[in-house]
Amino acid sequence: MSERPRLRVTIDGTLPLAIQPAAADVDALPPAGPGESVTELAPSAQDRAHGRRRFEVLVGGWRFEAVVEPAQQAALRERAARAVAGQQAHAAISLRAQIPGRVVRLWVAEGEQVEQGQRLLAIEAMKMENEIRAPQAGVVRDLRVNLEQKVERGDELLSVG
Amino acid sequence: MTRRAVGAGVVSLRKDSERRGPPFERVLVANRGEIALRIIRACHELGSQAVAVYSDADERSRHVRAADQSMRIGPAAPAESYLRVDAIVDAALQSEAQAVHPGYGFLSERAELAEACAEAGLVFVGPGPETLRGLGDKLAARATAAAAGVPIVPGTLEPLAVPGDDEDRLRAEARRIGWPLLIKAAGGGGGRGMRRVDSPTELGAALAAAAREAAAAFGDRAVYLERYVERARHVEVQLLGDGRGEIVALGERDCSVQRRHQKLVEEAPAPGLTADQRSTLHELAMRVARGAGLSNAATAEFLLTPDTDFWFLEVNARLQVEHGVTELVADVDLVHEQLWLAAGRPLSERVRAAAAAAAEPRRHAIEVRVSAEDPAADFAPAPGTIGLWREPGGPGVRLDSGVEEGSPVTTDYDPLLAKLLVSAADRPAALARMRRALAEFEIGGLQTTLSFHRWLLEQPDFVTGEGLATDLVSRSWQPAAVLPPAALRAAELAAKAAAAWSPAPAAGAPASDTHDTAAERWWRQGVAESLERRP
Repeated sequence: MSERPRLRVTIDGTLPLAIQPAAADVDALPPAGPGESVTELAPSAQDRAHGRRRFEVLVGGWRFEAVVEPAQQAALRERAARAVAGQQAHAAISLRAQIPGRVVRLWVAEGEQVEQGQRLLAIEAMKMENEIRAPQAGVVRDLRVNLEQKVERGDELLSVG
Repeated sequence: MTRRAVGAGVVSLRKDSERRGPPFERVLVANRGEIALRIIRACHELGSQAVAVYSDADERSRHVRAADQSMRIGPAAPAESYLRVDAIVDAALQSEAQAVHPGYGFLSERAELAEACAEAGLVFVGPGPETLRGLGDKLAARATAAAAGVPIVPGTLEPLAVPGDDEDRLRAEARRIGWPLLIKAAGGGGGRGMRRVDSPTELGAALAAAAREAAAAFGDRAVYLERYVERARHVEVQLLGDGRGEIVALGERDCSVQRRHQKLVEEAPAPGLTADQRSTLHELAMRVARGAGLSNAATAEFLLTPDTDFWFLEVNARLQVEHGVTELVADVDLVHEQLWLAAGRPLSERVRAAAAAAAEPRRHAIEVRVSAEDPAADFAPAPGTIGLWREPGGPGVRLDSGVEEGSPVTTDYDPLLAKLLVSAADRPAALARMRRALAEFEIGGLQTTLSFHRWLLEQPDFVTGEGLATDLVSRSWQPAAVLPPAALRAAELAAKAAAAWSPAPAAGAPASDTHDTAAERWWRQGVAESLERRP
């Protein structure tokens, strides 16, 4: 079997979310069941230019628009955006868990100086790791979680500032 | 308004079998959306022709196609179409309709339409203009109820204007009534111009805000005060009157599941009441109706306090959005009855029998309002175009809607898309049926309240009926608790679809393209590059 490129799926809205599962993991996921449906939406010219595809997904009465694109391309675009944003001083930003899960990686300690975009910790939920990075350069404060700790959505993790 | 009197006096002895032929040859339906379609269906069942009216926004909508004839009444804005008395009356005269059914909302409780109909020789399907005027004035209705010996929610009995001389009196009255209290618009309803005040320090600002809202919504800045009853339920009684003094109650509905004073879910009967309590409630409602000289259909609304006291709130002198749950329990078609009553016929045997049995109902019905609103964003309107529309079906399911795939949903009108109703032998069976029907219902293209309803049907407060109260939603609805797992699952399904399906052909209509900025949000960068390193 030939190597399939990893995909990035982003969902916008009230509680934005992104995943980047390995192809094998995607294959293992259960298909759409009752009350779930997926429709591909017509791509815009910009979507086509960037190789993005757009899906409407209905789950449990919620409607989501998901954008799917090659992961490498998304990473390049984000790096460029970070470079533009530059290094500016910001007030402390408090980070909360966006999904419930378990802290499986912790790369920083209280009081540590971090750069913008630096990896802080990762939360695993439903076989997916969600890595959390520093939104800005600063010092890690109020670190409230340990490795293997379970977190609920909305739990405070730490702040950077 | 003078009604067609059919052999006054002996009329009430007539049998239902004398209802031969249609009540009217042609009925103009002065509304849009699901309620217009629902009334057109009733007309057709009775052998009457139905005339639809439409604004430019609705030219191709379902209610227009369902009607035998349709008349354009103006541009999309309601004030230039569905709210124009002259346009409605002209359309009725031009189409040679004999009667005008106003539905709910729009002009349904406007005495001006009832009067204009009478002047034009048309029958208005609803109470007469004097009754509409009397009941439309919420304070006059409170006074009517009090005079009929019906307990009312403690508060003020006359309109007081702010800012102005009345402000000192309002402050004094507020102290007498106690906290928390509600400021309400004397001229309105539907939650607009309504403000909860928890302490004296908030009163001044709340009065000013409520008066502004009232002035904007109803052209009248007068307000009144009512005690706010904590943990109260909202119950209401369906009434029918023949205009000659006979009034019946067809049972009650519980409409406690609300947000911002607007109903989301209704059911009949109200859970947890004894037959005696039901009889008491129905009797109170009939007393108000007699006092107001009610004819045709109306609903008397009450607060049910934690001490099981019924306190009168107001009368809605029209068909209610939620009339269907009563129809399913009482086995009566309220729109049929409205048309027969408007045609001067007496209350039918079927209606009398249903009223006699109303204190001991043998079925249970639940309705959920499916609206184009985002429950995760405080139920903000979510306009769009309906892309996918898969209706539930099967035993005991009724769906009243006015939309279909391709229907545009704009902010010009109410966001209500459909009313999903179920009925069953008892409440647990109705709840199970509703859960099943909700799981079948799929709507794409825009966000609806389906997600909220699916959550609600799992909440012990609602399922047991013990947590029913008007603050149930504000107390317990936390979309953040249910949205993330759904979003994650949606992302997985999108990944699966992208992997399995070849890309869509480069087709015409471009999808909305607003994702770039949001996609740059910082935390998205955190999406597992580490995943790539995972074995």
